[in-house]
Amino acid sequence: MIRLKTRLALFNLLSKLAVTLLLIVFLPWVIERINLRHVDNDLVQKREQVISLIRRIGIYPFISSDTTIAFGSYNILKEEFISLERTILNEELNDIEVSDRMIEDEEINYRVLNYTIMVDGQKYLLEIGRSLKSIQSSEKNIYRVILVFLILVILITFIIDLQYNRFLLRPLGKITDKLKGISDPLSFDRTPVKTTTSDFYILDNALTELMRNIGELFEKEKEITDNVSHELLTPVSVLRSKLENLLIRDNLDQDISGKIEESLKTLYRLQSLVNSLLFIARIESRQYLMEDTFNLNEILKEVVGEIKPIAEDKGVIINEEMDQDYQLKAANKSLIFSMFSNVINNAVKNTSPGGDMTVKSYISGHYFNVTISDNGRGMSKEQIDKLFSRFKAKVSSQEDGTGIGLAIAKTIADFHKIVVSVTSEKEKGTSFSFIFPENS
Amino acid sequence: MNVLIVEDEISLANEIALFLKSENFLCDLAHNGREASEKIAVNLYDFVLLDLGLPDYNGLDLIREAKGADSDASFIVITARGAVEDKVKGLDLGADDYLAKPFALIELLSRINAVARRKFNIGNQDIKLGDFVMQVQYRKLICNEEEVDLTKKEYDLLQYLVLNHDKVLTRQQLYEHIWGNILDDQYDSNFIDVHIKNLRKKLNYYAPSPWLETVRGVGYRVAVNALSNNTPE
Repeated sequence: MIRLKTRLALFNLLSKLAVTLLLIVFLPWVIERINLRHVDNDLVQKREQVISLIRRIGIYPFISSDTTIAFGSYNILKEEFISLERTILNEELNDIEVSDRMIEDEEINYRVLNYTIMVDGQKYLLEIGRSLKSIQSSEKNIYRVILVFLILVILITFIIDLQYNRFLLRPLGKITDKLKGISDPLSFDRTPVKTTTSDFYILDNALTELMRNIGELFEKEKEITDNVSHELLTPVSVLRSKLENLLIRDNLDQDISGKIEESLKTLYRLQSLVNSLLFIARIESRQYLMEDTFNLNEILKEVVGEIKPIAEDKGVIINEEMDQDYQLKAANKSLIFSMFSNVINNAVKNTSPGGDMTVKSYISGHYFNVTISDNGRGMSKEQIDKLFSRFKAKVSSQEDGTGIGLAIAKTIADFHKIVVSVTSEKEKGTSFSFIFPENS
Repeated sequence: MNVLIVEDEISLANEIALFLKSENFLCDLAHNGREASEKIAVNLYDFVLLDLGLPDYNGLDLIREAKGADSDASFIVITARGAVEDKVKGLDLGADDYLAKPFALIELLSRINAVARRKFNIGNQDIKLGDFVMQVQYRKLICNEEEVDLTKKEYDLLQYLVLNHDKVLTRQQLYEHIWGNILDDQYDSNFIDVHIKNLRKKLNYYAPSPWLETVRGVGYRVAVNALSNNTPE
């Protein structure tokens, strides 16, 4: 991608180069044409002078007797010549041409005007010539001067254009700088960009307005989750305290204490469900800071360490294949922990006793990859499709939890721009793969 | 010890008071911020349980007020809003701990006790459990001068049960305490059973541990009555 500023400068340079090239090619031709016309006019003027001279003083001062048939004169540097001679040509001549003439053993290239004139019943041919040598040398000089001048002008205008473009586009640069690497509308710099260009002004204003609106939506969502959280969790809290107080009473019937415990368990499920939903809402409204730097393999090992006792108790072996570690920046450590924890836990739940699963991490290309695979019961295509949707992922009803764990994992992955994919085959096992983005 | 419970949800305040009274605390109630502010100004409390979601008052202002008036009370902040900033702000203002609603009453008690241990430096003495000795200060379990090799989670679990001896703790209460804020959906009642099973295996390698009881249908309990006279706390 090329920046607009560079593009404009490049175009500017190319167009000026093209103009220069055009001038270099056509300028000599144009100058030559102008010069020739000038010379021709001059020659015609001279012809008129000669003719009027002849009309006034007659032909004899030039051609005095019958013996002389021609008159010729040239100046000392042979730049111009004039000749008058009797002719027996029938046709009338009135043209201008370029021709070589021998004058005193020197061949000179002349622009020559030919003209036939009748004087006293005798036809004469008048020739007036101007040497092209002097013209050509002056042409060269003019050409040089013009070229140097033009190149100077082009160079100066190029530099001025460049500076002006830079000045003109500065506000746009500032706007793009504000947008660069922004992931959260709340962190958008709302100080207006100074500009006198209305387009940039409109653009900046619109962006700021847009960001403000999105920010307000986030704020509103945060307020809603806070309120919902309060409204839902307070009654749960009351019930829970009441039941717990009942449970610690002395001399409770075992039957009754069992029932209270069951109620607490149900209540706990409700609480964990509400918390999970609020958790997702909080991630989506970006209430978690992304400021941690940590090693991913360390987190993976920690998660595996926590779940291992449960897996071992169930007779599931967790293999760890982690070679290169990777440091993740600008992320939320506890969220990443939760993401892996949910997926690994899910894998343990879905693996039958005696089965095994593998937690593997490796670097492929520029990306850090984690795969969590099991040889458990696997899933059908329909099951995979709704795997990450809330409430639908539960494969069996005997499990604890709310079946929302994978939805949480997906939300966290999306929040961190981690690409998650699932491959699964019925009765063969399931594999979750995570591709981490490059640190920016 | 004197506790002021600042909670606008009256039935919840009553339940907390009921529970803390059974643990020999003196409880006072305030159902709004104004009332709480007056009571804190007049009375001396060891603890203030403060719900941040008061209708008339920003709970955090109460901490500011109390700290400004040189009150010795320790604040335990309770909130159902669960916003991360609230927690940080509360702790910044000098709250001693933070609990998210809904919490287990036993968890509240153990937080109060933990603050009391820090504040008055009590309860850090060794606790005798049959042939075992728990060195709370060093987070170690000793049997015949040998350290029992426990994982961090196993130790936490055992200490929680020991510090709340003679009370039945449900699996959820234990789970919540050990795994803290439920950032995910991994709650599995099996977790606690597995850890208790492993714990027992390790303990029994050194000496029998009849004091670690399973209460059928409810949960687990450490019965200190079965221990010698060196009772904890």
